Amino acid sequence: MNAVKKLLRRWETFLILFLILEFVVFGSANPKFLRPASIMTSIVNYISVCIIALFVTLVMITGGIDIQAASIIGLTSIIEGVLWSDAGMNIWVAVVIAAIAAAACGALSGFFVAYCGVQPMVVTLGGSFLYSGLALLVSGMSATPAYQGISGFPSKVGKTFVDFRFLGKGELFGIPMQIVIYVVLILLCAWILHRTKYGERLYLIGVNQQAAEYSGINTRLVIMSTYVLSAVSAALAGTLLTSNMNSAKYNHGSGYTLAIITAVVLGGTLNTGGKGSIFGTVLASLIICILRYGLPLCFGVSTQNLDLPVGIILVLVVLGREIAGRHLISQLMRRFRKNAA
Amino acid sequence: MSSLKNLLHARWMSSLVFLILLFLITGLADPNFLTYTNVINCFNTATMYTLLAIGIAFVIMTGEIDVSIGATLGLTAAMTGLIAQQGGSIGRMLVVCVLAGAAVGLVNGVGVAFFGVPSLIFTLGTNGVIRGLIYIVTDGRTVENFGGDIAVYGNKVLFAEITLYYALAVVLVAIAHLVLTHTKKGRYFIAVGDNLDGARLVGISVFRVKLLAYVLCGIFAGIAGYVFASKYRQVMTVAGNGYEMTAIAACVLGGISLSGGLGNMVGAAIGAVIMSSISRLLVFIGLPSDFNNTITGVMLIIIVVVDALTQRRSIEMTRRKRLLSRTAGTGTEGGKG
Repeated sequence: MNAVKKLLRRWETFLILFLILEFVVFGSANPKFLRPASIMTSIVNYISVCIIALFVTLVMITGGIDIQAASIIGLTSIIEGVLWSDAGMNIWVAVVIAAIAAAACGALSGFFVAYCGVQPMVVTLGGSFLYSGLALLVSGMSATPAYQGISGFPSKVGKTFVDFRFLGKGELFGIPMQIVIYVVLILLCAWILHRTKYGERLYLIGVNQQAAEYSGINTRLVIMSTYVLSAVSAALAGTLLTSNMNSAKYNHGSGYTLAIITAVVLGGTLNTGGKGSIFGTVLASLIICILRYGLPLCFGVSTQNLDLPVGIILVLVVLGREIAGRHLISQLMRRFRKNAA
Repeated sequence: MSSLKNLLHARWMSSLVFLILLFLITGLADPNFLTYTNVINCFNTATMYTLLAIGIAFVIMTGEIDVSIGATLGLTAAMTGLIAQQGGSIGRMLVVCVLAGAAVGLVNGVGVAFFGVPSLIFTLGTNGVIRGLIYIVTDGRTVENFGGDIAVYGNKVLFAEITLYYALAVVLVAIAHLVLTHTKKGRYFIAVGDNLDGARLVGISVFRVKLLAYVLCGIFAGIAGYVFASKYRQVMTVAGNGYEMTAIAACVLGGISLSGGLGNMVGAAIGAVIMSSISRLLVFIGLPSDFNNTITGVMLIIIVVVDALTQRRSIEMTRRKRLLSRTAGTGTEGGKG
């Protein structure tokens, strides 16, 4: 009985119920909705947000925030394009270099946050300007005009290990490659956060950085590393996007910032740190994906106007949680204080 | 003498110095820049960001954030355009803009201050809702082809090449600044941001102050929307997208701390001028406008990092002073940072 109560109180339970509700409502409104292929396509369309949200969850659990990841999507995409088409490199080498560049971007911002004590929101705001600006500059090095995008990536090259387009377009046992990668990342992230010492430290830092520091954790390094991770995940998202759309463009993913944060906070992660789970973020991402796919299909909502329902749900959900959970949170805080004392 | 010293130590002074330096560097690169027209134009083009920045400054000072102002600007700009298409008067447009902005602010304020939802999350939600409302209001079409008075005023010059709208924005900045620094109620904004519990203890209604901050922020965004419509006479459904980030950056450049309780309106206004004149300055320096975001980002990061480091150093210095004075046994306090 107690276990059931505990389960019901969990945020994830609510998200699962919500997701099931979505399936029931959309499925009964239009049977076409339930085709697995279309559902998977809806996730693939939103894969960048889904992937980055996983790793931004880590950042937010430490009490930080990352609003630069979306600009790193474009930066990696255009770096790959320019290195491949204008510098004539092997595409996989280009991918690796782009990922390293992204990691450097994340490390730079993470350094300022962790070692200089600047507010994470300001640093990553500056980072979002800087990295999207750099993307445009890199784009200027290419012979292809910036607005056009570099296209024609290798798709059927016999000699390469795996062809590049396979990442974004290929299928494994009938499941799109992107979703396979996403599932692997979910498992990886869940393992990092919930099964390793590193993950434990993230929570501890989010609850009380000073206490974490005193207990012998190199908090600064850990905080910095979360920004590197989220930047690398953005690089991966950028690579997938480039591969899927067969086009490298500097402004890929430019509008994703708020979507990523929405997915993370809807998943129950506190932006003050110390609370959140990968499972919650995944569920929230799926809820948004399904909503964006189901509403136009079943209720004829214009695809341009999907911000409204997502916004309404976010507002209602956080309000509801705040009202219903006030009692709970105060209890939790008391418990934390007791433990800390 | 001490007031002069205070002035020099004010945080917004450093942003003013920075702005002047930017102008001088540009002038060195291309002497043609340093004409009255060019400099004034830098200020004139900053009208919209100035309005947005002082609006959001109220919210930031109380320690919260509002990322819905770009959408609010888009909504009120679209409404203004629609009214103009029907031949409505400017008075009606302004009333609608202010009311719409205030309504958005009210919703944000209630969500954040009354229900205690983290402000970033709540305003993200309202941001989505307002973006959706724009589609509903405009039917997903670009609002354009409107003329009348609003088009006339769009670039109307008041005197000495200063546009009417910028002059009005400056008046609003002055009023906001005076209210904040010279009235009791105005000081509450900073007090709440600086020390929430302390403010509560001395009897300030934190709820009311935050609500008011959001309403003001919405109203300023609403007016900025009117200016947008009047200036460009074409409102796309994505109008104002990303403006919230520029406004926040302007506040940061102007020395307003994002954790609240620090900064003032003049700084925000100067920050807005810096943010909007970068692209113009780049033209004179001879760099393509592609460098716009890069320079903005570098500038923003450098300023906040330097600010954080100097602040940390001053805190350490005060601490050391206090320690020294205590160990010396003279019992004098080491002064405030």
